[in-house]
Amino acid sequence: MPGGTAFVKVTVSRVLALVALVALIGMMPWLSGRGAEYTILRARYSDREPTPEALAAVRAELGLEQGPLPLFVSWIRGVFAGDLGTSWISNTPVAPGIASALSISVTLMAFALAAAAIIALLLCTPAVRDGLRQRRRPASGALSAALTSLPEFLLAAMLLVAGAVWLQWFPPFGWKGPEYAVLPALSLGIPAGGLIGLLMSDAIRAGFAEQWVGTWRMSGAGPVRLSAAVLRRALPAVLPQIGLVLIGLTGGAVAVEKVYAIPGLGRALLGAASAQDIPTLQAGMLALMGLALLVGTLTTAARYLLIGPAVRFGTLPLAEPPRPGNRRQLALPAAAGITLLLVVGAGLLRDPFTSDHARIAAPGWSLPFGADASGRDLLARVGHGAVGTLGTALVVVLACLAVGIVVGLFPLAAAGPLEVANAAPPILAGLVVAALSGPSAHGAAVAVAAVSWAPLAAHTAALAQEARAQPYVQILPVLGVGRARIMFRYVLPAVAWPLLRHAMLRLPGVALALAALGFLGLGPQQPSPEWGLILAEGIGYVERAPWAVLAPASALVLASVVAVGLAGAGHPARFFARNSAGAVPPPGTNVAPEHVQAPAGVR
Amino acid sequence: MTGTLAADGVSFAYPAPRFSRGGVHGPRRIGTLHNISLHLAPGTSTALVGSSGSGKSTLVRILLALAKPSAGAVALGVREVKPGPARSLRWYRQAVQYIPQNPAGSLDPRMTVAQLLGEPLRQLRVAGNHRALVAEALERIEVPAGLMERRSGELSGGQNQRVAIARALAVQPAYLLADEPVSGLDLPLRDTVLSLLSSLVREEGLGLLLVTHDLGTAARMSGTTAVLAHGRIVEHGPTHRVLDSPGSPEAAALVQASAALHFPPAVPAGAAP
Repeated sequence: MPGGTAFVKVTVSRVLALVALVALIGMMPWLSGRGAEYTILRARYSDREPTPEALAAVRAELGLEQGPLPLFVSWIRGVFAGDLGTSWISNTPVAPGIASALSISVTLMAFALAAAAIIALLLCTPAVRDGLRQRRRPASGALSAALTSLPEFLLAAMLLVAGAVWLQWFPPFGWKGPEYAVLPALSLGIPAGGLIGLLMSDAIRAGFAEQWVGTWRMSGAGPVRLSAAVLRRALPAVLPQIGLVLIGLTGGAVAVEKVYAIPGLGRALLGAASAQDIPTLQAGMLALMGLALLVGTLTTAARYLLIGPAVRFGTLPLAEPPRPGNRRQLALPAAAGITLLLVVGAGLLRDPFTSDHARIAAPGWSLPFGADASGRDLLARVGHGAVGTLGTALVVVLACLAVGIVVGLFPLAAAGPLEVANAAPPILAGLVVAALSGPSAHGAAVAVAAVSWAPLAAHTAALAQEARAQPYVQILPVLGVGRARIMFRYVLPAVAWPLLRHAMLRLPGVALALAALGFLGLGPQQPSPEWGLILAEGIGYVERAPWAVLAPASALVLASVVAVGLAGAGHPARFFARNSAGAVPPPGTNVAPEHVQAPAGVR
Repeated sequence: MTGTLAADGVSFAYPAPRFSRGGVHGPRRIGTLHNISLHLAPGTSTALVGSSGSGKSTLVRILLALAKPSAGAVALGVREVKPGPARSLRWYRQAVQYIPQNPAGSLDPRMTVAQLLGEPLRQLRVAGNHRALVAEALERIEVPAGLMERRSGELSGGQNQRVAIARALAVQPAYLLADEPVSGLDLPLRDTVLSLLSSLVREEGLGLLLVTHDLGTAARMSGTTAVLAHGRIVEHGPTHRVLDSPGSPEAAALVQASAALHFPPAVPAGAAP
């Protein structure tokens, strides 16, 4: 990497992204526009009519007339002075509430981390055992994949039904003692631990396959020493992703706190977003951003400690972890996909809107999935919901593809925004968009798209870098081909097909993110049959009518299994093995982050 | 009318990677070329020989205006040449073409032979009927016209190599920089290509720079040979003189290694396993 210009670009881009994020948070009152005035008027002066004068008075009271910049400056001054503002709804200072909510959330997070660590450790054991016994077999990963596949809001709903309603081992709602933390911690810890375990055991298997292990073995290193060394070798490659998983927990926490009625930061933010209480949301976002920065700094520092000067700055986060795939592993996703198609097909033939059944009618022959609290056919709602959720997801994915390609062709300048988007959980983006423009299907789509382009951009960057390093691209300047033509006529066609494929693989994941927003009330509103929304409606009746939760939940589980199966099948090596013509440069997704660097072709 | 293609006092250095600078005392820049001067004239052929790592490729990149020398300059006739936007270098690209090492890899697998050869003609705004120029270039290098609509994946290695050579010749350059142009070809084909290149030099006044590590090829093709070692030209003169009485240890080592390769000592009877 010649010179420090790349480093400077990346650093500048990171700083700018951070500044932009803080500015976005600071200007939220202004961005929320006219909606904010009505909200406050309704909340504080419910007796007044929304006359122009009354609205103007509210504007003056909030200082909205100053324009975005002065508003931001006064806000940021307050932040540095320890004043986070006054709630628009309750007219009381925001800081104390946020602080207590944060402490609860951090406690919950600690429990979740413990659960995740235990799960990850258990999942890594087979890899270590195989390594010590010198058995080399591909990671099966089926268990980890199953654990990873469930989004937190869904897992929380299912654990609530199982652990609190059926088994009655744990209390269903509240935050009064350690027993209240078990189910929420599991809901957060299982997917996180599953993913970390999956990544770690892949890295451990790769570590044991390296040559130095044989040397160590021959010089008499014992199993403990050897495992410790391999762990130390495996950890740095996985640490950035562990950091991302931890930051992602904050998004999951919003859903989990809602399901279990925990008065944490997530629930406070959700309340603030649906009430358009911008100052509370601002303070919460700031707290979360601080938390994310802390996690990011800690993982980077840990990486430095582990591999020292060998860390060169990783300009790009990894697009997707490598997953070995084989036919057997495709069987489960395929079965799930077919089942889902059958359910959706059957549901589409039925009427999702009319309430012509008994309220929460039990499942039977004529009503296979039962009826919801309004007496609507759940099979029909789940079927029609698939179209809405997956259709929106398709639009979102295509938008992400377009943004990802454009951004990915300028990877260094985009490093900062890329990292922010990659780390930001869709739920938090959904909170911001909903607070600014009110909850809507449209807003949810924008929110999910705003944070989902990052993996595609990173993949574009990696592929473009390899395409540019190809001899047939390197020679183009000599043939008189200009930069723009190199980009559009040569590099773009080389990367387009694998990217389109990658984008399609993300479809179910995006659908789940949309469903999560729907579940939280940040997406489409009643009576749209949207999966997350159907689940949210059912959860209030979970004790009397578990089927109201089970129907949408099983559809989501099936979609999750398909999502993870596709991601696994999407392991680029398989694709390129089939396309042996060599028409496409080899993939760049499955390299360790240290190897994703500034263009290597330019020496 | 194009004049000589000249590199004058060219040096090239790149900043040392941060971690290897060794504190304040380590070198800030690593040099790969030191004060190189090389003049090519139309109708002559010069061989540039040197072991790998001697700086041959860097020198070629500088001559192609792909890299900027840290000192010295490249000029064609009286015009100085520097890396820059494609448009401003069109005149130079048409005058100076290049056959890369591994020519087959330099063909976009998505494009047909006709597209591959047409691209530089279009991009460099070459005058004349492009279809005719393409056909002529292919014919010269004995690529059957029937292959025009094939893609590089459908051609043999030798055919690909010839397509890459035809692409360089199609724009009718005054100079050709060829980086091991025949290394991947079998002997009869090697002979065809080398004969073609020497006839272009003799009959059409092409200026050829042949980068090679094979002194046999250098002797056959070039009247003048420059030996590059450790980023310096250690020997520069008539090829036969360089071969017969090398004046530097590096050139002597190259000659000796080449002789050993071409005339290996007979295996003593009974020593074979």
